[in-house]
Amino acid sequence: MDVTFLSNTFFRLIGALPVTLEVWALSVALGAIIAAGVTWMRVGDNRPLQFLARVYIFVFRGAPLLVQLFVFYYGLSSFPAVRHSIFWPLLRDAFSCAVLSLALCTAAYQSEIFRGALASVPPAQIESARACGMSGFRLFRRIIFPIALRQALPAYSTEVISMTKATALVSLVTLWDVLSVALKIRNDTLVTYTPLLVAGAIYFVLNYVIARVFIAIEYWLSPHLRQRPL
Amino acid sequence: MSDAYALTVSGMRKRFGALEVLKGVSLQAREGDVISILGSSGSGKSTMLRCINLLETPDEGVVTVAGETIKMRTRRGATEPADRRQVDRIRSELGMVFQSFNLWSHMTILENLIEAPVHVQKRPKAECVEEARALLQKVGIADKWAHYPAHLSGGQQQRAAIARALAMRPKVMLFDEPTSALDPELVGEVLRVMRALAEEGRTMLVVTHEMSFARDVSSRVVFLHQGLVEAEGPPAELFGDPRSDRFRQFIAKDKH
Repeated sequence: MDVTFLSNTFFRLIGALPVTLEVWALSVALGAIIAAGVTWMRVGDNRPLQFLARVYIFVFRGAPLLVQLFVFYYGLSSFPAVRHSIFWPLLRDAFSCAVLSLALCTAAYQSEIFRGALASVPPAQIESARACGMSGFRLFRRIIFPIALRQALPAYSTEVISMTKATALVSLVTLWDVLSVALKIRNDTLVTYTPLLVAGAIYFVLNYVIARVFIAIEYWLSPHLRQRPL
Repeated sequence: MSDAYALTVSGMRKRFGALEVLKGVSLQAREGDVISILGSSGSGKSTMLRCINLLETPDEGVVTVAGETIKMRTRRGATEPADRRQVDRIRSELGMVFQSFNLWSHMTILENLIEAPVHVQKRPKAECVEEARALLQKVGIADKWAHYPAHLSGGQQQRAAIARALAMRPKVMLFDEPTSALDPELVGEVLRVMRALAEEGRTMLVVTHEMSFARDVSSRVVFLHQGLVEAEGPPAELFGDPRSDRFRQFIAKDKH
């Protein structure tokens, strides 16, 4: 293996890392906001909203992400109504299409994680909060959310990590992320393994860092699950 | 003991589907009264306690706390509280102690104690912390303030839960079988705390199976049977000369 080629490949792929990171961070964050709304609809008492949330989760969790991405990028533009709508500048752009479709997809998964976390909050602890005069948003903010957050973290970190890998799909809608640069190097040089292995290593390190961050957050939030203070 | 009623319940009914658990229960607690509520399981004693602070919504009946009646209304055939804010306020005046403690697992003991005083009653934090430490001292776990509930024994958790209820400066304390989930050797430490509270003149409603507490500590005993008050009176009178056959059978069972 040629060291110069290796280091050139490495620096070109690192140069594409910002695109991967932007798509990842924006879609996870936007997905979390959408998921919060979907979860609110899903666990609320309003039947029609509950049904809408179920349909949303069913659709976006049911179809392959790649299909969703293609529908957004290639499919929607075939409708003149879309091309003439105010959303067209957004849907014309590969980057915003990619972020939007990734966000909509992860939102379905994230909202199921949130729902599970909410369901795991012990009813007895909610009841004792009610008995102390807490209700509504205060009860949610002080008791339900902090407990649910700790329950959600392990599954949530898995979803966030799987999203870094999902960003590799955006190479198919003309974005120059880590994988698409690796594929370009392979096409140009006919060297197959080196660029792919370097790309894989970059994803691996990225996910390792994310996993460590989540472990640190979990540790910080869970003193009650550790050894008792002496 | 003054003449003012700290808590009155009248004509309380509660039905779960086909099962009528409370069939019109009435009860009056004067300030300083310690009322033990006895009854075999299924007699409705816990349900009655939970209906007082509306953890269950009674179908009928009037609850008055320190002269203030909880406003109820009927919507689509179901009874519900008319004013949620009033319910929250009255709940903070009724300190509830649960069978399984129900401390908030993500907070330290001190945080558990100051949570409602600071965030519901909006009292200054420094004052609440000071008061909380004094309460922990009183229930004998002052050194555990930085522990999390999971790090304490059942008896210590229940004493912390009693302190948490006291931290809201409640007008009445409600105890829902406070010693039933404890190992036998831990029951005593919780009963001692409850006895001390009774002696300092707190108004208490205690659903319990502890006959010795009912007999020796409470000022009045109410015996529920199948959703009705079957017998009621000062413990000496009730235990000394039980006129109700059912109550006689009930206490006879306890002697075995």
